[in-house]
Amino acid sequence: MTGTAAAVLLALCPLLLVGGFLLGRRTAHPAGRSDVGSPVEHATFETLHTASLAAPPLRAGLTEDTARKSARRLRTLLGTDALCLTNRSTVLAWDGVGEHHAKLVMERLAGLLPTGRSAAFDCGCDDVDCPLRWAVAAPIVVDQRVLGALVAYAPRDSAVLARAADEVARWVSVQLELAELDRSRTRVIEAEIKALRAQISPHFIFNSLAAIASFVRTDPERARELLLEFADFTRYSFRRHGEFTTLADELHSIDQYLALVRARFGERLAVTLQIAPEVLPVSLPFLCLQPLVENAVKHGLEGAVTRSRITISAQDAGAEAEVVIEDDGIGMEPEALRRILRGEGGPSAGIGLSNVDERLRQVFGDDYGLVIETGVGAGMKITVRIPKYRAGVHSSPPEHDPA
Amino acid sequence: MNEAYAIPAVAAVVLVTVLIGGFGLRISRTTSDFYVASRTVGPSLNAAAISGEYLSAASFLGVAGLVLVYGPDMLWYPVGYTAGYLVLLVFVAAPLRRSGAYTLPDFAEGRLESRQVRTVVSVLVVGVGWLYLVPQLQGAGLTLQILTGAPRWLGGALVAAVVVLAVAAGGMRSITFVQAFQYWLKLTALLVPAFFLLLAWHRDGGAPPAFPAVPDLPASGAGAGQPIATSRADHPLYATYGLIVATFLGTMGLPHVVVRFYTSPHGRAARRTTVFVLALIGFFYLLPPLYGWLGRLYAPELTHTPDADAAVLLLPGRAVGGLGGDLLGALVAGGAFAAFLSTASGLTMAVAGVLSQDVLPARGVRHFRLATVLAMTVPLGGTLLVSAVPVADAVGMAFAVSASSFCPLLVLGIWWRRLTPPGALAGLLLGGGSALAAVTLTFAEVVRSGWLHTLLAWPAVWSVPVGFLAMILVSLATPGSIPPHTSATMTRLHLPESLTVRQTAAAAEGGSTSPPGTKSTPSGTSTPSGTSTPSGTSFPGSTSSTGSTSTREGR
Amino acid sequence: MHRLPRHRTQWEIDEQTTLGAAYVRSLMRSQLRAGIAAFAVLALPVVTLPLFFAALRNATVVWVVLGFGCYPLLVLIAWWYVRRAERNERDFARLVRGTDPPGTP
Repeated sequence: MTGTAAAVLLALCPLLLVGGFLLGRRTAHPAGRSDVGSPVEHATFETLHTASLAAPPLRAGLTEDTARKSARRLRTLLGTDALCLTNRSTVLAWDGVGEHHAKLVMERLAGLLPTGRSAAFDCGCDDVDCPLRWAVAAPIVVDQRVLGALVAYAPRDSAVLARAADEVARWVSVQLELAELDRSRTRVIEAEIKALRAQISPHFIFNSLAAIASFVRTDPERARELLLEFADFTRYSFRRHGEFTTLADELHSIDQYLALVRARFGERLAVTLQIAPEVLPVSLPFLCLQPLVENAVKHGLEGAVTRSRITISAQDAGAEAEVVIEDDGIGMEPEALRRILRGEGGPSAGIGLSNVDERLRQVFGDDYGLVIETGVGAGMKITVRIPKYRAGVHSSPPEHDPA
Repeated sequence: MNEAYAIPAVAAVVLVTVLIGGFGLRISRTTSDFYVASRTVGPSLNAAAISGEYLSAASFLGVAGLVLVYGPDMLWYPVGYTAGYLVLLVFVAAPLRRSGAYTLPDFAEGRLESRQVRTVVSVLVVGVGWLYLVPQLQGAGLTLQILTGAPRWLGGALVAAVVVLAVAAGGMRSITFVQAFQYWLKLTALLVPAFFLLLAWHRDGGAPPAFPAVPDLPASGAGAGQPIATSRADHPLYATYGLIVATFLGTMGLPHVVVRFYTSPHGRAARRTTVFVLALIGFFYLLPPLYGWLGRLYAPELTHTPDADAAVLLLPGRAVGGLGGDLLGALVAGGAFAAFLSTASGLTMAVAGVLSQDVLPARGVRHFRLATVLAMTVPLGGTLLVSAVPVADAVGMAFAVSASSFCPLLVLGIWWRRLTPPGALAGLLLGGGSALAAVTLTFAEVVRSGWLHTLLAWPAVWSVPVGFLAMILVSLATPGSIPPHTSATMTRLHLPESLTVRQTAAAAEGGSTSPPGTKSTPSGTSTPSGTSTPSGTSFPGSTSSTGSTSTREGR
Repeated sequence: MHRLPRHRTQWEIDEQTTLGAAYVRSLMRSQLRAGIAAFAVLALPVVTLPLFFAALRNATVVWVVLGFGCYPLLVLIAWWYVRRAERNERDFARLVRGTDPPGTP
């Protein structure tokens, strides 16, 4: 190898680097369209988004109130001087100038409403200053019934406006059709929420609110904070999405729960935590630790104990996480506990335990049920093992990022 | 080397490791403040942990040894070890975290919805883990021999015993802190002596060492008669490419690297963590070549022994000398043991986890302990049986197997929707299997010379394309077996957490999406666990024996 | 009181409609492009360097390039990639939600 060849190669090296870089850049910024949108496209989306703001009110059906709210947006969309929304019998909303035309509208629509055909007409206004000279009316049709009409006014006739009004009216129709659909879906959701409410004990809600109320006069700031905690806690408990959560989120909810409990019991309750950060991302069934803590609190404070201590620890154990919740309260007769877990206990005893046990087994298998050590007057120690990964167990994203 | 300082240094490293492992968590995280307790591990801490676990005997001793013997061409090793993280970053880091998988078998099962693929991946993970553990134990044996003159097997056995005890006893609970500590310890153990070494070198006249342009080693080189050495000398360019492919693409599949990413709270953090890792290990790798370079000057005779890996340990004594040299030597020895311990414990935990989950019949804490012992026994036996291969080369083989099996699985699994379980199986078996076979043949010294031997010693150049091709072709041939929930899985892998899918994942698995709290049909009864609870009571592990009761009353 | 999905596109993605899949594909493509770009910048020099070194036979250059020079470059490429990938995700979130996602950590 001669020196010239070496020199050539040496010169080639930076060239290659630059070439690689440029190639990389080209691939990253292709000359054509971007996959996640160019600024121009984003601007278009903004416009469309503004347009879509008209939709939400309509989703509640066609009433005077919703019509008024959406008429404003629709007029901006069409860019006309005035816009009117009617139902079959009367004017629901008028947006823009020249409201004196409103009383004449229904007459003009006499031909449209029964047939469902669009119509255009001259306003025939006596006021020379009035800019509204011409109007186009398009029917709003839901389920093949004419529900009403959209009327757009302009200084002179315009094909563009006619076409646009037609399209917008059709779009309004679709929104109203969807509103129908929504109403049926709402009924399902309400049933779901009813089921979810079973998760928080009503006692807890009463007690928390009572405790908060007691602070309202003496310490309004604290009451405000507690109320926020309460709102957060209930929001988490009632959340609709996902069967699973992360340990970090569950702990966050337990924190709020304990804040509310402390508001009631003050210094009588001490909590110690020992959490290995490695297990915070572990996914687990939603609300499966909080009932255990609730149970520990109940047991801890039930007896004549003056001060109760609860220890919550989460350790990293290879492919599993091990969560231990321990209290030094009154404990329980093992036989009674066994009955509760079999689902034979009374309603008051160990409210959530059997439910949690059942859910854990259902999700992770029978190896992962609760392990409880207890005795009368000896406190209670509940151990939960959670595999770090199980097919099908994926938490929703953290809503509060503690980092 | 003066053992009076070195032995306490090694003992101190072992002790501190165990102490931080056992009590670090207690000290740092016992609190009544939820905000403190639920703070996730930040990218920089996690990156230090990943680096600490990653920098093994191969990095600490092996790189310097190879550079000393073969000259600067061996610098591709540290470059490859580092650049592997760049490839991991750009193709794998965030999606892997978002998959929620803790181990590679988890990922394979989640993505391909096939127990079969999971099993094959498990076997390969165990194989790679064992391959990687052998050189760690060998390095420990060499180190202890240099320090005390103890027989070769003792060091390996010592590290194996410490790791098994610590892992099985649950002593590695605050693993993130332990491993992060190990990184800084290893860095210090090379950085401080390097400073003094350079001073000594300057004092001695500062002449650069002479590396022969072509190392004339086959006759008398490191481990003369050792096949790896001859093939490197025969086909240096091929060996370099083989090494580049293996290290660049193999890092993403190393079992102990993958599990650390689980600690990141989300995909973005996983990405940032990887950048920190690149910076941390890049900084570390500035040092070992320096030792190799100075080793050529102060310990040139090592090129003619099979123990060139000892260069790092011997240098402080040779160059600095006196009490200072002894103390620096002790520091380096401590760092070396930190390297064996951290990598070995990480690997053992990963391998034991896979063994206990996918190989051993039952689960539970006791089985995890059994798996730990098993995970360590096999490589320990391997250390005793297999003749010494330079540690960096041995680690390179583990990388080659990982690159030919897990790299195609991860890259195609994350970016290609049409991957099918049969395709993945074919790729794993053909790519990973052939690489594994080639490596085993090399270790067994079946073929001792010629091109065939070179091809077997550096398999990555051909086995990685084989793995990719097999996966792609068989997947294209079996379009009918694309996993049913591929679309949902891909969405989960790539969607930023701020937009993550809600609910679909659970629905996708066919699990009931009925609200928690309402009782749906118990699918738990048909779990494969086989440990049926007695007489249908739902109370398997509850111990409320009088023993436990009485201890409690004693409080 | 009916509840609509807050963000319609989000809903499409969540419900795995064909439209949602198209959105996710776009995101994947943009991320893959960023990844391949970074990989190309890494791979091109790496593939040629051994040949170059073999031809050059100058140990000092090898020491400087492999011993020191390449590490800052690696970190630089990684840093560029992370910025790019995060920007892609932000743009995507904007595309889906219409505004910057409030929950970005």
